[in-house]
This record gives sequence, structure tokens and C-alpha cells, in this order.
Amino acid sequence: MAKTIMIVDDSSTMLMSLRNSLEIAGFKVLEANDGMVALKNLQGGAKPDLIITDINMPNMGGIEFIGKARALPGLRFIPILALTTESQQGKRDEAKKLGATGWLLKPVSGTDLNKIIKQVLPGA
Amino acid sequence: MYLRLDAAIDGTLSGVIDDTESSARAIIQSIRRLHDSASTLASYLDGTNLQAGDIGKEIAHSVAFLSDIANFIERLPAKMEQNLESVQAVVAEIKALSEMTTDVKAISLQSHLLGINAAIEASRAGTAGTAFKVVADEMRKLAGSSSTMALKINTGLARAQQIVESGLQSTITESSQQLADVSKVAASIHQLRDSFEDMSQYYKTRFAIVIKHNEDLVREIAEALGQIQYQDVVRQCIERIRIAVGRRNEALRAGWGEDPAACAALPEQLELVLDEYLAEEGNHRHSVRQTPDDGASRKIELF
Repeated sequence: MAKTIMIVDDSSTMLMSLRNSLEIAGFKVLEANDGMVALKNLQGGAKPDLIITDINMPNMGGIEFIGKARALPGLRFIPILALTTESQQGKRDEAKKLGATGWLLKPVSGTDLNKIIKQVLPGA
Repeated sequence: MYLRLDAAIDGTLSGVIDDTESSARAIIQSIRRLHDSASTLASYLDGTNLQAGDIGKEIAHSVAFLSDIANFIERLPAKMEQNLESVQAVVAEIKALSEMTTDVKAISLQSHLLGINAAIEASRAGTAGTAFKVVADEMRKLAGSSSTMALKINTGLARAQQIVESGLQSTITESSQQLADVSKVAASIHQLRDSFEDMSQYYKTRFAIVIKHNEDLVREIAEALGQIQYQDVVRQCIERIRIAVGRRNEALRAGWGEDPAACAALPEQLELVLDEYLAEEGNHRHSVRQTPDDGASRKIELF
């Protein structure tokens, strides 16, 4: 059965690029254009196997989203990857502390993305 | 005046963001269609490969059958040679039998002479030899019959030998032509098998090459989808420039006003805007541009 990946980004280009890359790789994709929408979807019962989120977004940024998503029941061990241009070590450390699984700099190639997904999502 | 210029530039930059975004989305759609076409092609090739495999199996089965026939045909000359040797052995046996009839005739002649001598001796014995004379006569008759029979056997054997030898000669003459034809048939069948194997290998190689190209295409498509994300990197970069220009303009408006203190603080305010912009820019890196090899610049980091 295909694994489900939630992608969170305020850029329609990013969402479209990631959706197509992931669908081609055989995943089901859920989209949200900021952290708040993503959190509402998760609270509403969305059950992704992996979350890939941007950091700098309106309404709710990626760092805050990671912290709040980790607090939700059933999401404690789901891998969460940050995909961003943000490169402050402090933000990386904060994301790590809040439970992020990894940090990727944009743009990420299809090959790299699939390699990382295989590492963090066994059986993908 | 140059605030209006900034506004015009800002409008243009905003348009550039929208245009590159639309263009990036259109490229993604095209790439996706390209991928779908590549997938369709791959499925088609896969189906064709399976069908070709089935047809190949049938042909291979037929070729194996033909090869068996070719092998049988190849063994035919040896078999025919063996048959000819058997027939020649029969002829030799007939000749040997024929020679034996000469011995039988010689024995008959001796038996006949013995019968005559016995009859003469029986006559000399008078009445006492009457019975013996009957035996001597029968013996002569038997010798005559044996001689006649030996003659008949000899004649029959000579005829049989002639028939077999004549047939043998005809078989040898015809066989040489047939053997030549048979060799050609066997060679043709082997050539057919070799051609099929060559063709089969050729198509397997071609299929493998096409499938490899298709896999490369899919990989390149995935890479292209990744690279298109660079539009978002550029968008964010332009957004930071726009924010910095906005802040600078606010500082300029304040510095050019009536307040002398604000005017005096303008250089410092502009320096602050510059520092903030540089700091913000320094906080953003992307995986395309060469970045220093520090922790914050790692393209991918798993915690």
C-alpha cells in the first residue's frame, strides 16, 4: 500500500514540484499551504506517514508547526523533515529539539529526496 | 523621484515573481506529461517485451524441434552407410553359399561314382548282391538329385546376388545425391537456429537499451522537478530585497522630513537597514549556490 506524505509550503511551485516528484515515486500526497492548515488537517484525522514542511510560512511557521504536530496523539514518531532556505543553526537546533527528523536545503533533487525518504521511512 | 522608481521596480519584481511562478507551474505540468508519456511508453514496451518473449518461446520450441530433425538428418548418412555395409555382408554371404554349392556338386559326383562302383560290385556278387544293387541305384539317383538341386541353388543364389548387387549399386548412386541434399537441409536448419538466436539476442539488447533510456528519462524528470523549486528560492530572495527596499524607503521618508534629529540619524538608519538585510540574507542559503562548508550549509542533515 502506498505511503502518504504531507507537504506543507506556502509556495505553489514547491507544492506542485513536491507533489509530482512524490507521486511519480509512488506516494500519496496531502497538501497544506501553511502550518496552521496542516495542523488543522492533522487534528481532523489526516494520518500521513511522513511530513515535509517549509520553515518560513505565513500564519504558522514550520518550527511552531513541528512542535504542535509532535504534541498530537499518534504523531510522536512520524518523521518530519524541514525543507527550507533557512540556514540559521539556531533554527536547526530548535527544530531538532522540537522533534524534527532532518533538515533539507531547497531545492532538493528527486534523487536526494527519494534517498532521504527511504532512510526515514522504512519500507517506502 | 527615485521613490517612484523604487515603486516601479517593486511592481516589476512582483510581476517577475508571478511570471516565474506561472512559468514554473507550466514547466511542472509539462514535465509531468512527459513523465506520463514515458510511463505509457515503458508499459507499452513492457507489454511488447512480454509478447515478444511468448513468441520467442514458441519460435525457440519450433527451432529446437527443427534442430532435432537436423540432428536426425545428420545421422542419416552414417545409418545409410551402416545399412549398405549390412547389404554388402549379405552379398558376401550369398557368394560364400554359392561356393558351397560347388562342394555339394563335387560330393554328388563322388556319390554317383560310388553308386556306379557299388552297382558293379553288386552285379559281380550275383543274387547275393541284388539288395545291395537296389541301394546302389538309389544312391546314384540321390547323387543326381543332389547335383540338380545344387545347380538350382547355385542359379538362385546367383540371381539373388545379381538383384542385391544391382539394387546396391543403384542405392549407392542415389544416396550420394540424397546425402548431399540432406547435408544442405541440415546446414539450413542450423543456420535458421543461429539466425533466430542472433535475432533474439539483438532484440533483447535493444529492449534493454530502450528500457535503460526510459529509466534515465524518469530520473532526469525527477531531477528537473527538483530544480524547478529554485523558483521559490529566487522568489524568497526577491521578497527579502523588497522588504529591505521598503525599510530603506521608510528611513528615507523619515530622514527627509522636517525633523532635524531624524535627518541626522538617516545615515545610521540606512546602515541599520543594510545590516538587517545582510543578516537576513545570511540566514538563507540554498543547495545550488556554493556555500561555506559549515554546519548550517549542509544540504541534507538527519538529526
